[in-house]
Amino acid sequence: MIDAHLLTSGIIFGLSLGSIFFLMTVGLSLCFGLMRIISLDQLLYYSLGAYVTYSISHATSYVWLGVLAGAVVGGLAAFAVERLLYRRIYERDITFSMITSFGMLIAGIGAIKYIWGLTPRPVSVPITAEVDILGTLVPIYRLVIIGAAFVVYAGIWLFLNRTMVGKAIRAGIENVEHVEGLGINVYRLFAVTFIIAGTLSALAGGLYAPLIMVDPQMGLDVLAFAFMVVIIGGLGSIKGTFVSAFLVGQVVSLGSLAYAPLAQMAPFAIMLVVLLVKPTGLYGSPLLKR
Amino acid sequence: MSEAGGDALSVIGLNVWYDEAKALFDVSLRATSGQVVACVGRNGAGKTTLLRTVAGFLKPRSGSIASAGVDLVGLPSYGVAQLGIKYVPQDKMVFSDLTVRENLELSSYATGDYDWEPVTTYFPKLKALMDHKAGHLSGGERQMLMIGRAILGRPGLLLVDEPTEGLAPGIVMHLKHVFRDLSKRATLVIVEQNLPMVCAIADTLYAMSDGRIVAEFAGRGSVRPEVCERYL
Amino acid sequence: MNAFRWWRGLVSAFGLLYLLRLLLPLPFANEVIIFSIYTIGCNFLLGHVGLISFGQPAYLAVGAYATASYLYYFGTNPYVGILMGVAGGLAASLFVGPFFVRLRGDYFALVNLALAVIVFYLTQNVLVAITHGDNGLLIVDRLSRTPVLDLSRPNQFFIFALLIAFAVWAFYKYLDDSIYGACCLAAKINENKLRFLGYDDRGIRLLAFVIANTTTALAGAMYAVYLGFVSPEITSPARAADPLVVTILGGVGTLYGPIVGAVVYTGMMDLASKFMSNWELIIGIVLVFVMLAGEKGIWGTLEPRLKRALLSPAAGSRPIKGASR
Repeated sequence: MIDAHLLTSGIIFGLSLGSIFFLMTVGLSLCFGLMRIISLDQLLYYSLGAYVTYSISHATSYVWLGVLAGAVVGGLAAFAVERLLYRRIYERDITFSMITSFGMLIAGIGAIKYIWGLTPRPVSVPITAEVDILGTLVPIYRLVIIGAAFVVYAGIWLFLNRTMVGKAIRAGIENVEHVEGLGINVYRLFAVTFIIAGTLSALAGGLYAPLIMVDPQMGLDVLAFAFMVVIIGGLGSIKGTFVSAFLVGQVVSLGSLAYAPLAQMAPFAIMLVVLLVKPTGLYGSPLLKR
Repeated sequence: MSEAGGDALSVIGLNVWYDEAKALFDVSLRATSGQVVACVGRNGAGKTTLLRTVAGFLKPRSGSIASAGVDLVGLPSYGVAQLGIKYVPQDKMVFSDLTVRENLELSSYATGDYDWEPVTTYFPKLKALMDHKAGHLSGGERQMLMIGRAILGRPGLLLVDEPTEGLAPGIVMHLKHVFRDLSKRATLVIVEQNLPMVCAIADTLYAMSDGRIVAEFAGRGSVRPEVCERYL
Repeated sequence: MNAFRWWRGLVSAFGLLYLLRLLLPLPFANEVIIFSIYTIGCNFLLGHVGLISFGQPAYLAVGAYATASYLYYFGTNPYVGILMGVAGGLAASLFVGPFFVRLRGDYFALVNLALAVIVFYLTQNVLVAITHGDNGLLIVDRLSRTPVLDLSRPNQFFIFALLIAFAVWAFYKYLDDSIYGACCLAAKINENKLRFLGYDDRGIRLLAFVIANTTTALAGAMYAVYLGFVSPEITSPARAADPLVVTILGGVGTLYGPIVGAVVYTGMMDLASKFMSNWELIIGIVLVFVMLAGEKGIWGTLEPRLKRALLSPAAGSRPIKGASR
């Protein structure tokens, strides 16, 4: 029998991990949905968010300011990359976006090593208090992260369903050519989507920074999880990403209560099973072809 | 005669390739303002390619496309649409995840024209369907929505690709009246396989075959189904 | 005649490679050959079947670890070790292949990359009892001396690698020209039409997947023997795109693209690492520029020109259309 305290904290841990996974991959999924690109550089904005959080919180001792600044820097970096690079490869095959973005991720890691060095950096936890849930003490900061993920999910939902730009993005996910045919400048939509994606990825990095050591490889460390989340959920589906992020989070968290090394592998097994049953992931549309 | 630059659509010597395969050979076509121009031909004759090139979705290797004196070659397709040249594709793919209202809203957002009166006058049926997901519409309703979406913003030139394909005769009749009425306010270029319908509304008819214009019939009198039949 | 011509091409290509070692240091030449073998599977998948394989390092690692484990725990004969590596690659690709070939292109790419990262974790953290984690498996002292070609000596390894590469290229050349190669291309262009013709497109893709990844495992096995050491570095996620980049750099789908790409890429990396210690920055920037530069690659651009230059005098008696004299 697993101890009830362990179970509770395991579930909370899994939820917070799932929240980070969601924030980190929702951009990847959105970008695929609208632009049909695989933007691996999202994981660079994730690292960047964490590093900016580290630098700002170190300089000002306000961690929240760091998280905010990280998100802004992530969004700006994404904007620059979209303008300078993606503009040139939207028309190309998906191979190109994937390898180009991978190149950016690797080069970005090099740049981070150049700027911040190789040593892992700590970020202090902004809220150290704990709260009692079913007799188990749970760090409030983890609950804040979970809350942030839900707020972001709701925000994206409202944005996509209640604003014209959001509706245009939804329409574009179905058929970008028809949106363009109406006279909407789709490249502007692409830029907006990309900035949102980069901001959220950086937010994930910033929020996660106090719980881990910030190091140059952190983007690559979560690469496999990022993929498994978007593949299980289905590329291009926000809802799928949300569900599968929490699924993977729980599997990793609860699995490590059983046998830690294999817990990292368990999502892979789930991914294989999901793909066997539905090759486009849980919520992925088979129509999203390119 | 007005100068050629003033034509609603003037295509001269258009050559279009899909990678290594040539799809259009020296295609020239002209539509004066207020005309209904029809384009007929078998599948693969290049009709859709022609419309998609005019609408900016395909880039020609050579040739010129102009509308009201404005050169369209090189414009992005949203730029072409913003000039009031709307393409109604043949696939009838409405944004199925959006409601009918949202579909129309998007077009209003793009054109700044929030007056839906013409749409609901032409297609009263859409009024009752406003809050339905467009994915649940029937083929005919989808086509109404497609045309409704396109006529917001009062376009001067409509490029309509096989509008009646697969639709019930009643709806085809309805569309015929709509097109006839629309032609009072806009120039229409219609690609069609349905000869009786197209001959009833077209002023000029071009027949295409293997990527070339093979015949041109100008004037109401000469556009008759029995003359055009051999091009299908 | 035609058959003779491509044999001639193949022999001269490898003659050139042999000359390469007179000009360049031996380790470089060895690395280039192994890298070419590593890449040709990826080139075949991308160029002839239309599959983006981002997971080559996984199969490279399987080959390398199968070889190294055999040599570390069981035998000492490097030839047997390499056979073990190939068998390992074959088994691994037969195991995951049926899952993977059902997937759409984008999912295929992502799943393979995920697999590469998973294999990295497996070798680094999970199967530590066998792989010794980051310490790796040192087998350099365990290689027995073999008659004819002693693989523990770099210069003899070079001859061996060259022969293997020759065999691999002849095999891929044969594949390209066979009806199977035509089916692969057809599967790339339009799988539905291929299906209507009565071919099993998944079977075709599975065979291509297995062939390509077994070749990659062969490269891994050769790495293991050549370096005498295997560590999780071999499947480092940071280098997951290497074969794809070399493929595109050389020219997607061309026969000699992988070799040209490997020479240029390895050379570039060697040179760059002399000036900068930050190799990630270099790889990344090179990657982005190769992608933006164009789609044909070096060999894809050079090949038609070389052919024109080399073949037109030989075929002088026959008038060649478009050749001005």
